[in-house]
Amino acid sequence: MTGEDTGEGDRLYLPPSPSSARGEGINSMKILRYILNFFLSLNTTLWFLGLLLILFFAGAFIMPGNRAFQQLHSIPLFDWIRKQPVKDIWWLLGIIGVLAVIAVNTIFCSVDSIIRKRKVTHWLLLIAPQIIHTGFIFMLLAHLLSAFGAYQKTAEVRAGTVLKISEGTFLIVDDIDINVDYYGYITAWTVDVTYTKDNQVLQTNSIMPNKPSVFQGFNINVKNIRPDPDKAALLQMNREPGAFWALTGGILFIIGIVILIVLKRKIDK
Amino acid sequence: MTLLALSFGSYLFALWKRPLLVLGLILQAAYIVSRGAELGRLPLVGPHDTIAFLAASIAAFSIPFGFAVKNRNSFLSSVAVVTAAFTAFSMLSKAHNSPLPPILKTFWFECHVVLAFMSYALFGVAAVLGSMYLKERDPVHEGLQYRAVLIGYCLFTLSMIFGGIWAYLAWGTYWVWTPKELWTSILWVYYSFQLHARLRPWWSGKPMAYLSIVGFAIVLFTYLGVSLLMKSSHSF
Repeated sequence: MTGEDTGEGDRLYLPPSPSSARGEGINSMKILRYILNFFLSLNTTLWFLGLLLILFFAGAFIMPGNRAFQQLHSIPLFDWIRKQPVKDIWWLLGIIGVLAVIAVNTIFCSVDSIIRKRKVTHWLLLIAPQIIHTGFIFMLLAHLLSAFGAYQKTAEVRAGTVLKISEGTFLIVDDIDINVDYYGYITAWTVDVTYTKDNQVLQTNSIMPNKPSVFQGFNINVKNIRPDPDKAALLQMNREPGAFWALTGGILFIIGIVILIVLKRKIDK
Repeated sequence: MTLLALSFGSYLFALWKRPLLVLGLILQAAYIVSRGAELGRLPLVGPHDTIAFLAASIAAFSIPFGFAVKNRNSFLSSVAVVTAAFTAFSMLSKAHNSPLPPILKTFWFECHVVLAFMSYALFGVAAVLGSMYLKERDPVHEGLQYRAVLIGYCLFTLSMIFGGIWAYLAWGTYWVWTPKELWTSILWVYYSFQLHARLRPWWSGKPMAYLSIVGFAIVLFTYLGVSLLMKSSHSF
């Protein structure tokens, strides 16, 4: 992916091979040059973004009608993909492949841009697209980490329920409190939980809307709650290894765009 | 509802008297504020309130752009038609008056929705500028179109980040595989494509104008089509 500063066309980094040279060395140089040209090209960015759009369009129409996708949240993406027939997920495999090419393209173009234009006056204008690109790469990294290591488990609980988290470690539901208004709408709720290890209390928490309980890298949320006939909640235990990288990537992305907008405005003036 | 009807009338009459666009915006803003006061929350749930907000945002963003275009009358007339159409659609949609589920009562949700509709409005302004470029071939329109798309893209990305933070706090994951998320990705990749395509001379001029117009069509489908037709965390 190329930014504001790489619109001048393709660049070759490797010098042309001497005409007298022969053999495999020349061929591998040619191949290397071809690969470099491919990844340094803005055309690669545009073609692959276009291809990505087509695959997303296909997925947007295939996914809603396919029941298999309803289980996509319960296991890591790559584990889920391995169990699905290719005819259902070809578009998703395509998206992953295309994103891999775009990621390499982004890194190559950013490095190329910094090397070529390191002496420009507006260094912030040079660096802004690269900050955006770094943010984008971090976001892809986040999805990759989550696709490998995300975890999700649900359990229906009531006051007094004990859930085993790991050997010797337990989650105890102390209390479930639900506020219901005059019309029957749930307006607030609290689920009090205690974590114990070998009968020792490690931590107590109150889970509320948008306020999960965090324990040993896991997020424990309430997915659903009901006041009748008895107070019960559907607890969901999540681990998202990509969350930190997604947030970092998002922040970098925004910083880059804001710098770009401000500088463009200044230059236009 | 009277305020909304009056703002609809003002937008329509702005086709002849442009300053009425500002009056329409003021009336619509007053309606949104009164809805918020009545409900005791940000009135941005369901098509009635969100489309009214979208119309007001398009009118609000068109004012600064209106100062930069050469043919201001033509630009503001096009904006008046778009805002009147959205306001009419809002009036025909049922208002969502029930209290918010506790999960929606958060700063992250409010920012997510407000920023999303502001970005949609800027993509709408870019589409209007694109259609004007096709008629008048004025390069100023192309530059303004780029600016609207770039700022809209920034707000849209920010909205996605806030949405991700909210989803992480509410459901423990920043990404949920639903049709809405897929269409949001389509929109984000589409405008990424447009911002990159601009760097190639072949895409400048008419193709860029068409990209802006098609982009807004995708915005409308992502917002209305997906929310009304497909089951997702964003369904109406």
